[in-house]
Amino acid sequence: MTLTHPDLQVLRPEHVVSITADVWRAYLSQELVEHSLGVDAPAISGRSVTGCVNVSGAWQGSVFVQCSADLACGLAETMFMADPGSLTADEVGDGLGELTNMVGGNIKSLLPGPSVLSLPSVAQGASCTVGVPGADLLHRVALMSPGGPVMISVWKASST
Amino acid sequence: MEGIIDMKILIVDDSKAMRMIVTRTMRQAGFGEHDFVEAADGAAGLRAVAETAPDLVLSDWNMPEVTGIEFLRALRERGDTVRFGFVTSESTDVMRQTATEAGALFLIAKPFTADTFTQALSGLLVP
Repeated sequence: MTLTHPDLQVLRPEHVVSITADVWRAYLSQELVEHSLGVDAPAISGRSVTGCVNVSGAWQGSVFVQCSADLACGLAETMFMADPGSLTADEVGDGLGELTNMVGGNIKSLLPGPSVLSLPSVAQGASCTVGVPGADLLHRVALMSPGGPVMISVWKASST
Repeated sequence: MEGIIDMKILIVDDSKAMRMIVTRTMRQAGFGEHDFVEAADGAAGLRAVAETAPDLVLSDWNMPEVTGIEFLRALRERGDTVRFGFVTSESTDVMRQTATEAGALFLIAKPFTADTFTQALSGLLVP
């Protein structure tokens, strides 16, 4: 399916980059830069953590934030101001879930409304791939943090 | 509105990490002398307001059980006029209008900085 012109106008890749960079700068004191390989950046291999929020209403889709398990742990430790290795898996998930919530919430604010943002969900596992059946990949952005790559993908439900 | 010294501030957010960040940012903004209490969603927030009688509530919007706007409306329905502000990742004009109409004093959008809190709480709190 070909994505409609308005979808790409209201939400551009630079919006996703800017929103994510603002969140990282505010809460992690880290500067994100775009991955040197751009959209061709390789998928995250090994154990990873993926946060997801869904938007439903006038615009329907999903926003994913994915990084390695080690990076997710480090991000959560910064957010909690915790010692290395001291957080539980739930606390690591809470950290990435909240980062995903902020990225997704700000992306939602740029899209047609009214719509509702879901609570974040977080998946942790080895070699996870992200996909949404019946949806189209609107944007995939790869950013580099000091601890490794962060992948953000925005999916739009085909029926909206 | 005249600021108050030694306030009790209730922070309501389903993310433990965000509750810590809000508290830390309040301290960075110079409000560290006030007392902070926490609740993990709107339902727990309603109980916490009844039990601790805070001077100010800082609440997330999108939470399980009872959302932030439902929390605020429930407070007003039971006649509680506690000062209330949202700290949320969404900040559309419709949400700001809905928040104001329900009785919120402000809506702080995430991501925020210490300056954001200083501006929003100017006149409400004494650093």
